[in-house]
Amino acid sequence: MIKYLMRRFAGWMLMIVVATNLTYFLAWGFLDPRNNYVGRRPPLSEDQIVQLLQPRDLSDTVPLFERWWSWFSGIIFRWDWGVSPVGQSVNEQVAYRMWVSAELVLGATVIATVLGIALGVYTASRQYKLADRIGQATSIVTMNINIVVAALGIVLLAIGFNNMVGTTVFFVTGSASPDVTGFFPTIIDALQHLILPTIALVIIGYAGTHFLQRSLLLDNINADYVRTARAKGLTKAQAIRKHALRTSLIPVATQVAFTIPTVFMGAILTESIFGWNGMGRYFLETIAKNDIHGTVAIAAFGAVLTAIGALLADIAVVVLDPRVRVS
Amino acid sequence: MSKWQLYSRRFRRNRPAVAGLVIFALLVLFALVAPLLARYDHIELDFLNLGEPPNGEHWFGTTSAGNDTFAQVAIGLQRSLMIAVSVSVGTTVISAVVGTAAAYFSGMFERVTLLLIHFLMVVPTFLLLAMFSNDSGGDWRIISLIMILIGWFFPARVIWTMALSLREREYVHAARYMGVPGMKIVLRHMLPNIGSLLVINFTLGVVAAVMIETGLSFLGFGVKIPDVSLGSLIGSGANTITSAPWLFYFPAAALTLLTVSMALVADGLRDALDPTSAAGGRA
Repeated sequence: MIKYLMRRFAGWMLMIVVATNLTYFLAWGFLDPRNNYVGRRPPLSEDQIVQLLQPRDLSDTVPLFERWWSWFSGIIFRWDWGVSPVGQSVNEQVAYRMWVSAELVLGATVIATVLGIALGVYTASRQYKLADRIGQATSIVTMNINIVVAALGIVLLAIGFNNMVGTTVFFVTGSASPDVTGFFPTIIDALQHLILPTIALVIIGYAGTHFLQRSLLLDNINADYVRTARAKGLTKAQAIRKHALRTSLIPVATQVAFTIPTVFMGAILTESIFGWNGMGRYFLETIAKNDIHGTVAIAAFGAVLTAIGALLADIAVVVLDPRVRVS
Repeated sequence: MSKWQLYSRRFRRNRPAVAGLVIFALLVLFALVAPLLARYDHIELDFLNLGEPPNGEHWFGTTSAGNDTFAQVAIGLQRSLMIAVSVSVGTTVISAVVGTAAAYFSGMFERVTLLLIHFLMVVPTFLLLAMFSNDSGGDWRIISLIMILIGWFFPARVIWTMALSLREREYVHAARYMGVPGMKIVLRHMLPNIGSLLVINFTLGVVAAVMIETGLSFLGFGVKIPDVSLGSLIGSGANTITSAPWLFYFPAAALTLLTVSMALVADGLRDALDPTSAAGGRA
């Protein structure tokens, strides 16, 4: 088992390295750090620009291959992902913003998954009854609302609510207030900032899990082993919980594991609406500011998340599926 | 009763799906007819009415620069629909041919195709999309082309798994032993048998393409001024959401109706085309 996972891990590592280097060359095709200095007042001479960019490995006067090697060897030997055109360290930016995004994305993913599974089980055991119909109708609508519309709609509602009660209950921008001190005030402040973007992400995200869980459970509810369990005296709820749910959780776990990278990157829209300085915001800034090293770091980050998702999916199958464990 | 009568009867029994189809048809009609009805076009500025809420002169109000929002929503809807349909047609055709061909020809071709697909899944496509379209200057045709190039491989993988079982069917073997060329077997014998999947893929592809395009345009990477799409309209509406909310309401309503109606149609098609589906009774 460990050997199998190790081999998968090595395969993914190779893919990540190749994909990241490919992105490096692609980024040079589309972004030009020199543009940042064009139109500056007072205007910078060509030589001055080169002098600013050359020590940062961002000057196109150096052959592309040399620039690449200087960047790549920096990562291999010093784990240094380079600097932006203005000299900010990419390592520092990613290290800080990663946690800002994680705060938002992890919570939302957990809530959306639990809600999706719970609703899936609830509606599947009441197939074609009123509760199932209502659940299905709501999910198909929420799943297909654009995240931008959902987030902005929530902003409008929250502003309305704040005006109604006359004080700021929900913050619509930022991830924290700058002047809050103390343990409990910090937590409350963080929650006030978290709640709206989390709701936006959950509304969009739960329905996929709901549909998948529902249809898988329906396939299993009528399976022979569940009927056998009921014949032996278990109630329907017990039979579902102990036997049907376990097998139907495997594909759900796989799907959830694979959505981790997409949610992380999908937070681009949520973060830019709610003004969070996470990876999504960073993504927009690096492209706007011709920050090649930053862009490539984000690409590598996304690739690593995809690999983690895939490996988690493999592990989930091993944990949940007895057939895999026995063999 | 013919196959098509059966499908349409099953589809009509699913009332939400019928409602979705009607809404979608009305939206298409609106996108086509509204620019003819509107008193202003979407670029023209009315300096006497700046930032006006909806009224008799400007049915959906005006922007702070004096653009007529009614005309803008109509053109934006048109643009989003064009992009969505062309992207979905493109990705469905490419993914169907590549996925089925990979399953049929097997061996080296299959392995290389799958490796390419897995590799493209690791490359962050949204980043590529943003970089490419940032470079395209906001031309919707170039954006559609890029979205097709980046969007085909995931559906191709799904279709490949479906087509795997097809290649072992008797009629495929029979065609091969009769000397039918490989590509013809793929196009004439295998593709029609996953036709229902392709139809559903197409409708879901329209939803996905609308979502991605509006996301890009909202962030400023997609369609750019003077051209408008629903995403770019919502993007500019977001800045004035408290002072001029109508600039957000109308494009947001059009976008939500578009994606939800298409999803309902996809759901109805799935029920109608799936031979084992028990939803909607027996027929």
